[in-house]
Amino acid sequence: METLSHTENISLLLSIGLMLISARLFGEFFRKFKMPLVVGELIAGVVLGPSLLGAFAPKVSEYIYTHNDHASLALNGITNISIIMLLFVAGMELNLSLIRQQGKAAFSTSMFGLIIPLGLGFVTAYYAYEWYGRNSTDKVVFALFMGTSMAISALPVIARTLIDLNLFKTKIGSIIITAAMFNDLIGWILFSMIMGMLKGSANHSVVLTLLYTVAYAILMLTAGRFFINKSLPWAQRNFSWPGGFLSLSLGLAFLGAAFTEFIGLHAIFGAFIIGIAVGDSVLVTEKTKDIVSQFVTNIFAPLFFVSIGFKVNFIANFDLQICAVVLVVAVIGKISGAFIGAKIGGLSNKESLAIGFGMNARGAMEIILATLALQAKLIGEELYVAIVIMAVITSIMAGPMLNWLIKTKGSAEPSSTN
Amino acid sequence: MQSKVTTFQKIAVAVAFSPRCEAIIAEARQLQQAFHSQMIFIHVGKKSMQEEQYLKHLLHRFQLDQPNNEVIWREGDPVETILEICQTQNVDLLVAGALEKETLLKYFLGGISRQLSRKVKCSMLMLTEPNIHPGGFKHLVVEGTDHPKTENTISVAVELAKAFQSNTLSIIQESDLSKLALIRSDDFKENEADEHKETLLKEEDEKLEEILRCTDCGELAINTERIEGKPGYVISKFAREKSADLLVVNSPDITMNLLDRVFPHDIEYALADLPCNLLIIHPKNAD
Repeated sequence: METLSHTENISLLLSIGLMLISARLFGEFFRKFKMPLVVGELIAGVVLGPSLLGAFAPKVSEYIYTHNDHASLALNGITNISIIMLLFVAGMELNLSLIRQQGKAAFSTSMFGLIIPLGLGFVTAYYAYEWYGRNSTDKVVFALFMGTSMAISALPVIARTLIDLNLFKTKIGSIIITAAMFNDLIGWILFSMIMGMLKGSANHSVVLTLLYTVAYAILMLTAGRFFINKSLPWAQRNFSWPGGFLSLSLGLAFLGAAFTEFIGLHAIFGAFIIGIAVGDSVLVTEKTKDIVSQFVTNIFAPLFFVSIGFKVNFIANFDLQICAVVLVVAVIGKISGAFIGAKIGGLSNKESLAIGFGMNARGAMEIILATLALQAKLIGEELYVAIVIMAVITSIMAGPMLNWLIKTKGSAEPSSTN
Repeated sequence: MQSKVTTFQKIAVAVAFSPRCEAIIAEARQLQQAFHSQMIFIHVGKKSMQEEQYLKHLLHRFQLDQPNNEVIWREGDPVETILEICQTQNVDLLVAGALEKETLLKYFLGGISRQLSRKVKCSMLMLTEPNIHPGGFKHLVVEGTDHPKTENTISVAVELAKAFQSNTLSIIQESDLSKLALIRSDDFKENEADEHKETLLKEEDEKLEEILRCTDCGELAINTERIEGKPGYVISKFAREKSADLLVVNSPDITMNLLDRVFPHDIEYALADLPCNLLIIHPKNAD
């Protein structure tokens, strides 16, 4: 078996250590300005990677994140595992019963907050296909991806913003959270279908891909969830807890990921659905989930987000026009969609606009989605940079815009049942 | 037994002529005495002389054959017929027997009692172990979640406890922190998340205190407890662990269907495996 050489080993460990520390330092710095940690982590990669440090001191940059040896391959494997674990945690955070119980306003906000950005993203990408400089040959798949990337939301960023503005338990807050959860659920299912369509075209038809996706989701969320619920008490009795839960849940996530990869869907989808099934169990407390979440988001997530800055030159691939178009389409689609949905749900103009701005935050999930699309060569580096910038800007603007709207409106009404 | 409460002016009893029929009538008698209610006995099925005589005998035996009480015999779909009668007769409380747990298939298809509990637009009492010599409800567990319906639910539960001279009444505040947990992975400092959690829970505590201040609890000993976990599941578990004889909860906000059994939430956790008798409080004029 081939193993890492002495120097490659040192190189890998140095990379991981430096990436983790720089991610934390940059993350904490940007947090002082009320920005999500992910912004700092991304910028750490941009600063230390080819975009900045690499331009002036390429050897130093390359030493931090090597590109041409086995250590780089190992690091790449770690970041791939990170994405799977991040999606598992994202799935665990979705609350199926909350989505199921959504009231009229939350339902219409969910639907329009999904359909309008998706439609707008699809149409603009379909017609501006060549202008986006895409690599893939399938126009529909590319347009579908752009639509999905416009529809997704960043739950942690949204939740944090709502707490900071004391809106978490208001009617507006409840609608935003529920609608964003629904958007994410559908968004990731759609994205998995797109990835399946992209790589599965050689193995099986589009219809079969759709069938596999739906069948896997239904099976895991019914029979799989039932099995998990029945086995957890046994595991709790016989294993050390919550250590046992950490191994079992992540083990299941990787098995699910392997299975979906095997049947031609993307690995992340398997982990995401397992995350929902595990997280929905009545036997898994928030404290237990917190342990898994802390482990993933403080070790693996920074590695993933810093690595992005090392893989892509953000300066060389920055295209103002593409950035502007992506941002405008994303902002208009999401805000107008959520606004229309909330209005139909019976909310006032200002409340509806506040919901639109609240749901507009894209955050880490958007970046993961774009990275996977880049890896699959569905998008080029210029478009990738534009999507990442859009994710960061929408996350940053959500808080101040919501604050401004609420201040001009007055105090938000407390939530009933949404 | 004290008897000045008028919360349930009209009580309907679903009569099924099962082996527990006699015990359910006995329990109904106790409720009638407590609330001075007008009683309606509903049987959906073909009227037979034998059953008619038996019901007459039971009502006479439990002194429920008063002129203002009524017996309704109907044919048709049991659930729809009972729901229709409850609505047209403006019933305040529907009483029915229920098995603690149904087979998996029956649970998903929905037994009569559970179907009624999901659809009925008045309060409903599901009796899991009706007794021919009812002992009343001595240990009550009541939902105390932060919800507009909770105030009415607590008020009814307190009236009931006073009427039955219950020993304990535990109000359970279920804290579903799943939404708050969304930010754990983001960027809160060590104690920041706990502070936010405490602020949110403090608001809920204050609301409950206000409800209890406004409710005439008399000499009744009330204890409140906060439990973290999934709403519906934790209160059900608590009622079972404490061997409560009545669990009082808010009526669901949406009409429950098969999806709610596949992805259970709130009251569905209790209906899946009833920990004790279940009283679902549906506020008047809620629809």
